[in-house]
Amino acid sequence: MESAVDPRPTPAEGSIPYLLIGLGLALLLWGSGWGLFVAPQESYMGDVQRIMYVHVPTAWNAMLALTFAFACAMVSLLRGGWKWDARLEAAMEVGVTLAVLLCIQGSLWAKPTWGVWWDWDPRLTTTAVMVFAFAAILALRRFVDDPVRRAAWSAVAAIIAFADVPIVYFSVRWWNSLHQLQSSPETVSRAFHWPLRINAFGVLFLMSGLIALRARVAELRLRDELGPPLPLPAAAQGGL
Amino acid sequence: MSPVVAAIRKDLLLQWRTRAQVLAIFVFGASALLLFSFAIGPDAEALRLHAAGFLWLALLLSSTLTLAESFQSEMEQRAFEGLLLLPASPRALYYGKAIANWLQLTLVGAGLVPFMVVLYDAGTTRLLGLAGILVLGAAGLSAPGTLYAAMTAQARARQTLLPLLLFPLVVPVLLSAVKATSLLILGDPMGQLRPWTLLLACFDLIHWALCGLLFDRVVED
Amino acid sequence: MPGMGVGVIEGGWEFVWTAYGVSAAILVGYAVSVHVRYRAERARRRREEAPQGA
Repeated sequence: MESAVDPRPTPAEGSIPYLLIGLGLALLLWGSGWGLFVAPQESYMGDVQRIMYVHVPTAWNAMLALTFAFACAMVSLLRGGWKWDARLEAAMEVGVTLAVLLCIQGSLWAKPTWGVWWDWDPRLTTTAVMVFAFAAILALRRFVDDPVRRAAWSAVAAIIAFADVPIVYFSVRWWNSLHQLQSSPETVSRAFHWPLRINAFGVLFLMSGLIALRARVAELRLRDELGPPLPLPAAAQGGL
Repeated sequence: MSPVVAAIRKDLLLQWRTRAQVLAIFVFGASALLLFSFAIGPDAEALRLHAAGFLWLALLLSSTLTLAESFQSEMEQRAFEGLLLLPASPRALYYGKAIANWLQLTLVGAGLVPFMVVLYDAGTTRLLGLAGILVLGAAGLSAPGTLYAAMTAQARARQTLLPLLLFPLVVPVLLSAVKATSLLILGDPMGQLRPWTLLLACFDLIHWALCGLLFDRVVED
Repeated sequence: MPGMGVGVIEGGWEFVWTAYGVSAAILVGYAVSVHVRYRAERARRRREEAPQGA
């Protein structure tokens, strides 16, 4: 807890993040195995459709991570507190990682399906723009040395970037609709629900654990930056 | 005199005094337009088809210069801190700067249009429409651009950070402005100009409000 | 029209494996990287704050 005497953040200890990560990976192993080997072939897309079992969960959680980042930015700006800045950094990093993964998965799905690596699907294109937008904010954080400024600026930038997302999506969708009328992999029929759900929870737990752990890293670094009081010589420490 | 008006006056005066810079930025944009044509090749059809895209890309690149310059004088001799000590709110400072940048970008864009017409055989009779798109597009670049220029002027690696932060954000401006300008040049049989213009106007409205709202968090100490 | 159970797209397993492989690599790789950074920061904290404690 932060106190008036020592305003530096104190990261939580304990292994809950590791438990979440482990549980998430286990669920992903189960769900992916089911989706890869047990689930039936889709009638039009064949086996390529199995990519959906990782692609859709990644999509949901990438959006979730960046939405959580937006929430952290709001709290950080309105209420303050180093923990929220640390969570913002963590959520953005995890979100960008998931979004990059999403773009790679999307390409690997598009190539056998449409014959091109990138088909300007509005959701994937918006994701790509978000990767650049939030990666830029992570870069901004690296180049600002003052922690107070860094926290305020990243929060402002994150809010603007997130507010932009629906506009980007809408404009790309419109821009693209004039050229192509492709359906994207969104409707999954009932037979395929279970592996999808399991993987969705898998990525959710994994993501939550990663954000929690990464936030601790950020808090520890902040702690170091905000500077511990210099140690007194041994003789003067009696009164402490 | 209202603080916003005073801020606008200050920044317009500043721009007038440094108008040689605006000329240099315009030359930069014009050379970018020339380079795009070298990248595509002397295919007149292709050049005309993509003229709108080249114009807005050139303007986008020029905007990084305009926006970075706009806070240059403030950074020298700690003028920025002096400004913030004035009773005027930071919001007034923001809108003053943003409007001045908007004007400069519109002028640079207007200067680039004849270049586009000549190099790419891409003219239009709908000059009022073109002027409108220029004004709206420049506004879309100026609002977030001024906010990020204020940020990066105070950070390290400012020349890299400004385009890095700005470009993903202004994708809707690029899309809409290019589409709208293209329709003006190549013809608009299905009447799509209005929706694109509305999208651009929506973006402008949202960002002029949001960035103004958030500006004092960017400059507070 | 394709019959039941026979897709329009034949095969494509190499894309499926690559997708799953890349997903695993990125997720596990990132998790490891966060873990390594966490351990490093914790070790640094213990080193720097130890002399002040009891």
